Amino acid sequence: MTSGSGPSMKWSRRSVLKGAGLGVAAAAAAPLLAACGSSGGSGGSSSSGSSKKIIIGSFQDPAMAPFRDKYVKQYQQETGTAVQYSETSYDAWYQACKSDGLNKTGAYDIYVMDDNWVPEFAAGGIVQNLDKLGLKVNPDILSKGLDQGYWPPKEGARLKAFKNDTPALYSLVIIDDVNLLYYDTRHFSSPPETWDDIYTAMKKKAHPPQLYGWSARGVKGNPVVQTYLPLLNSYGGNFVNDDWSPGFAGPEGVAALERLLTFLPYMSPSTPEFDTDQETSLMLQGKCMALTEYTGTAVTEIDNPSDSKVVGKINMATTPKQVKNGPAIGTFICSIASGSPNPEGAVKFLEWFTSDRIQTQFAREGGNAAVTKTALNDPQAAQKYRWLPAIAQSVQLSTPKPRTPDEPKFEDILGTQLNLALVQALQQKGGYEQIAQKYLNVAKGQMQAVLEQNKNIYF
Amino acid sequence: MAVTTAPVRPSEPGRRPDAGRRAGLDRALPWLLLLPAAITLGLVSIYPIYAGVHASLTTYLYGRPVAGAGLKNYTDTWHDPVFWQAMEVTLKFVLIAVTVETVLGLGLALLVANVVRGARWIRMSILAPMTVAPVVVGVIWRLIYESETGFVNPLFTSLGLGAPNVLSHEGSAFFGLVLVDVWEWTPLLFLICLAGLQSIPQEPLEAAAVDGAGPVRLFFNHTLPLLLPVLAVGVVLRLIDAVGTFDQIFVLTRGGPGTATQLISIYAYNTAFNFTDYGHGAAMLIALLAFALLLVLVALSLMRRAAKRVAQ
Repeated sequence: MTSGSGPSMKWSRRSVLKGAGLGVAAAAAAPLLAACGSSGGSGGSSSSGSSKKIIIGSFQDPAMAPFRDKYVKQYQQETGTAVQYSETSYDAWYQACKSDGLNKTGAYDIYVMDDNWVPEFAAGGIVQNLDKLGLKVNPDILSKGLDQGYWPPKEGARLKAFKNDTPALYSLVIIDDVNLLYYDTRHFSSPPETWDDIYTAMKKKAHPPQLYGWSARGVKGNPVVQTYLPLLNSYGGNFVNDDWSPGFAGPEGVAALERLLTFLPYMSPSTPEFDTDQETSLMLQGKCMALTEYTGTAVTEIDNPSDSKVVGKINMATTPKQVKNGPAIGTFICSIASGSPNPEGAVKFLEWFTSDRIQTQFAREGGNAAVTKTALNDPQAAQKYRWLPAIAQSVQLSTPKPRTPDEPKFEDILGTQLNLALVQALQQKGGYEQIAQKYLNVAKGQMQAVLEQNKNIYF
Repeated sequence: MAVTTAPVRPSEPGRRPDAGRRAGLDRALPWLLLLPAAITLGLVSIYPIYAGVHASLTTYLYGRPVAGAGLKNYTDTWHDPVFWQAMEVTLKFVLIAVTVETVLGLGLALLVANVVRGARWIRMSILAPMTVAPVVVGVIWRLIYESETGFVNPLFTSLGLGAPNVLSHEGSAFFGLVLVDVWEWTPLLFLICLAGLQSIPQEPLEAAAVDGAGPVRLFFNHTLPLLLPVLAVGVVLRLIDAVGTFDQIFVLTRGGPGTATQLISIYAYNTAFNFTDYGHGAAMLIALLAFALLLVLVALSLMRRAAKRVAQ
């Protein structure tokens, strides 16, 4: 068919040009229109604070499932306030909420965050000061968990620009995720108290590959650092000292890593490639005596017959001590977006979720890592979910990670060298102290270079 | 006899501007019709490059652009030992993977080109890996390499060899990733070579065969030179793609053990998005772009030279 073959198909050059021009204009205007539309939408239809819709964004995590599936709906039913919940992958959500907060887009009211985002988000004005918004904190929330939401931090090293600022609450903890010791009661009649006790037991009972003495995340970066931190903290070492100098390459840090390396003959030779799934699968198959891991393993896997061959056989306790207990903490935490269209409603929601009534329900229904002392020690909940008191105790004994936006970089530096130390120790099967010292020194040097490069931020 | 002459057009002063406008429209129309495509291309292709260059010239603090950085991010990148280490790993990965893929792809294409029975099924099964998303490829191979439940360790053990624990050692992890890339992308070169082989004119080959050329001579003196232009396209496409390999490595090793599999794409991603050093990360990616272009130029020049040599 050619143009102009019928009356309805008569295309003049002028009409083609006009059409093309309109098309181009529409295409160019579309994003603008879309943006205007979305901002208008998020502005909401009603004007009064808490009755407006609340929009919550989060990353996907099994620990968030009860929050998403039950408590968001329950809040809607109890208050009549609509709550919109959306989630995406961890990395995508980190970028999305950061961009939303930096640009004050107003697409969300509440960000569900990892607690190590707090320094960057609070210092960068991506989230709002909850004290200024009038949020009333439940005094029963465990203080170490609550402290994760303060900026600048109440304890430890501070960035230069915030050295003399009074700490303010920017994020409120909603799930107290913390390292726990998981031990198989068939091999330990009571929780091992020190790392030396664990080593003694594995020397006596482990016979790899049928039964490993220990299982750990060994992948470079964050995973292997999570394995090392409870040891480092318990040996009295620091990730960073109060003057930001790396604190892991001293005698305490070396002894802590050496202890981990001495476990290797009783661990899977594939440990350097292990992340949480591989690490915990050994325990779920009944093939390892003990490990340290965050609370999610207890809440969702250990007693789930479809995942676990060790239902009822694993107990949880605070991670072992050497000079002290030192579990690492990594809470799920909520902030209110800088451009939140409904901050009053967001405050009300957070107060509701962290209230005594809801937290007790949160602990009783599923054994979730609640954030209040009463909920975690609630007899009814603790009887059914044996890990809850261990969580309460571990949170209060926990050591936070360095509070700086550069923390992921520090983790990457230390985690790369820890991973290399594991690889070399597996090959060398000895000389663990030298290996530990060598790789921790390299990490220290690299971290010092980063600090030096950013000295205007740190010193 | 009446003499007819061509009618003389009366002078029509009013029509001249119309004709001028029409001529102007004739000239402008192709450009106007291209405009939507050009705008789309600009938005999806050129703007991101501009944004990347702009980010590489900016200093960020807590995720916010705070000042112009000039060339500081580039000089930092130049003096960053981890960047050069990543560059070395990238170069090694690209050269080994693309070379193996080219040789295997060409070999398979030569084998399949003459197959008549079941050619369709053979082609389909060879092409299957290429249709799988790179992230899924990473997950599949992670399950294969996985030391406790995968089948590589039991296979080696049953053969009396020690369990290799592929991803736990620097050397084996690197070559394990090369193998994944070869598995996924050899089909692309196979496809391109097969198309090239099927489009080669048969007369010169038949003439050479009549003159007594054996299969090896026939291949090196006739088939390969005729195939080189097509092969060059395939190699260039693979080079560009291999330089930016990310998904499989992120799923399988995250660049480890240590930095043994840390390509620039992984390091730049971490720098930009985990360490929130957007400027430095962007500078690395611009350097990666330059590196990819350089590799392409070198590859094209080598292939041109090879074609000339073979032609002589």
